[in-house]
Amino acid sequence: MAHVGWILTITIHAFILLLFVWILVLRALRRMTERRRRNMVDVWRPLLAESLVEAPATLPSIHPRDHVLFLYLWNSMQESIKGEASEQLNDVARRAGMDTVALRLLHTGRLRLQLLAVATLGHLKEASVWDELVRLAHAHNAFLSIEAARAMVRIRPKAAIPLLIPLISTRSDWSPLKVMALLNEAGADLVAIALAQATVSAPPPIAARLIRLLASLRSPSALPIIRQLMNEQKPAEDVIAASLSLFGECSDPQDLPMVRVYLTHPTWYIRVQAATALGKIGLEEDEARVIGLLGDTHWWVRYRAAEALSKLPSMTEAKMVELQATLPTVESQEVIMPFLTKLRATKTATALPAA
Amino acid sequence: MTTAPRAEKPTIFIAEDEEGTAILLKFLLARGGYTVVHAADGQQAQTMIDQMPPPALVLLDIMLPYLNGLQLLAHIRQKAEWQHVPIIMLTADSNERDIQQALAAGANDYMVKPFNPRELTARLQRFLTVPS
Repeated sequence: MAHVGWILTITIHAFILLLFVWILVLRALRRMTERRRRNMVDVWRPLLAESLVEAPATLPSIHPRDHVLFLYLWNSMQESIKGEASEQLNDVARRAGMDTVALRLLHTGRLRLQLLAVATLGHLKEASVWDELVRLAHAHNAFLSIEAARAMVRIRPKAAIPLLIPLISTRSDWSPLKVMALLNEAGADLVAIALAQATVSAPPPIAARLIRLLASLRSPSALPIIRQLMNEQKPAEDVIAASLSLFGECSDPQDLPMVRVYLTHPTWYIRVQAATALGKIGLEEDEARVIGLLGDTHWWVRYRAAEALSKLPSMTEAKMVELQATLPTVESQEVIMPFLTKLRATKTATALPAA
Repeated sequence: MTTAPRAEKPTIFIAEDEEGTAILLKFLLARGGYTVVHAADGQQAQTMIDQMPPPALVLLDIMLPYLNGLQLLAHIRQKAEWQHVPIIMLTADSNERDIQQALAAGANDYMVKPFNPRELTARLQRFLTVPS
């Protein structure tokens, strides 16, 4: 029995020792990997930055284990720059054989590596993977599909936009910020007309989504089509609200009469958008209209009306103070306060001497 | 990360939280012959502004943690000895309102990220004499 006890004790101790040694080995391996990566970053980061100014004569070789790290570094630098410097970075990647590596990573089936490959091939403007990118743009995974869409825009913007508009219309899982980045990359004027044309035949929720994107693009090229949509059809309320937002963002005085019409619409969020738009394109004669909205039953309408009032070109701090004293309700007096404060703060900031 | 200023080179102060952009700016400016002082957030930038002599130029990112670029701009313009330092704002997108606000509050110019390195050099040259 005593022997069994000894054997058990020795086995347990040996096991603990083995575990301890294993932990030490793992730590040593991790430190070695970290050191190797640090060295890689120390060598390549200045080299990539240098290549923006002048192409390096020779490039150090990259160990296959460091391919992914290189691509992260390279993509990070690509995201910070534009213009001919991007082409110079592309030249470095091709000389280092990273175009071939990215093509291989595209087919690994691992999401992280696929995303890296798609981003790299997009920056490299690698047209040979176009069909693969079109397929990936339809992928279920939102990150992968939008990254593929972005790569398509980088490779052939004119061919990409007609293919991507149906996806932009329906992919509610695509981040609006990423969609905006993609559209801006393609060029606001190139996408604005295509988006506006898509709204004409789209069902109201999709049309409203597309018009909201147009409002963020602030491209006036879409305005004639959207005006026609508002005049010829009986637009849905979501479409009206989105269109008013577009009119405000583009600030074309031609849209002022239509914006004024919707200040009295029975739906509160349309009045909100009309008031906001009027704050951007309104004239002195609109003061009375906006003041009328300060007594609205809906808080957001009163708030946006107060904001609009403070933005009208004719509005001054003295006029706002005078108006506040004459308003009949506490709610309308209170809603003016934050914008009066902001008006005073802007006046103080602009009064400071500039360089 | 801070690069110690050297007397003979003009100093450029950068407030930029994006590591990639900051590294790139530091490299390009150092290569152009400038001494670079860098703050990685708004609070650090404010502390440094209060402690250092006025630089030749300031590059301020609008979107910064703790204190944004517009708040730092107002802080700089309130300091008598920094009032005439040229300030270029860096913005991640072409948000016109932020840009207008910055220009109205005393910024001299702005640059949209991602930026073209040549454009950066050209804009700097508007305000500085490039050191030999």
